[in-house]
Amino acid sequence: MQYMLIMRDEDAAAVERRDAPFEPMLEAMGRYNDALAEAGVFVTAHGLAKPGEGVVVDFTADPPLITDGPYGETKELFNGFWIIDTDSIGVAAEWAARAPLGPGTKLEIRRVHTEADLHR
Amino acid sequence: MQYMLIMRSDDAAVEAFKEMPFEQVIEAMGKYNESMINAGVLVAGEGLSDASEGFVVDFTADPPLVTDGPYGETKELFNGFWILEVASKEEAAEWAKRCPLGPGAKLEVRRVHGAEDFPADNEWIQKEEGWRAEQTAKQAAQAPGGSD
Repeated sequence: MQYMLIMRDEDAAAVERRDAPFEPMLEAMGRYNDALAEAGVFVTAHGLAKPGEGVVVDFTADPPLITDGPYGETKELFNGFWIIDTDSIGVAAEWAARAPLGPGTKLEIRRVHTEADLHR
Repeated sequence: MQYMLIMRSDDAAVEAFKEMPFEQVIEAMGKYNESMINAGVLVAGEGLSDASEGFVVDFTADPPLVTDGPYGETKELFNGFWILEVASKEEAAEWAKRCPLGPGAKLEVRRVHGAEDFPADNEWIQKEEGWRAEQTAKQAAQAPGGSD
């Protein structure tokens, strides 16, 4: 089963991460990713650039309305993710708790749909 | 440049989506995905299962606190994503606009960090390139009929 670990930061946590020394952060993340790869559960991971660089497309309008980022109504921004492949949600939770993250940051863990979900 | 299209739906849109004929949804999404594959821009895409199946790990506590989903403070749930390889932000926005979504749904479009955002001489960044290459090889080996 694949699980997605969705990283969300409060504003203060995002600023703190941006201001933190880059090298130690890279090393902590590197060690975590290495542990995932060693255990054979790592599928993929990506970080996202600042929300101000992005755009938002709202499908409530027709044609859809495009506005500049950041995405306004979500206080806790989505800043990156991992996808891991584990036997159970319990194992996924254990890996999630080991991520090198700090105060103001949360991981939301969601099961990724497989082909089996499309044959309902 | 890679851009991530983050799909978010409010509660009403999620309910409306559940009421729609499933075949029709699969066909509309299938056509959209096919058009991006044919244009050579689709890198990845996944849908997520119901948020109540999930859980949340809060790192404000030490050790981190694990609670049941859904993720509470976000009104507009994150339900799936695409990653596209395109030449510009405008091109990413053009593709996002063509997605078969309706009222109450939004796509947040964000640039994905690439090699250019990190120091090339960092040992962990170099290692990461290795994991990604390994993973790509593994996926190619597992794909039905092998890689193309």
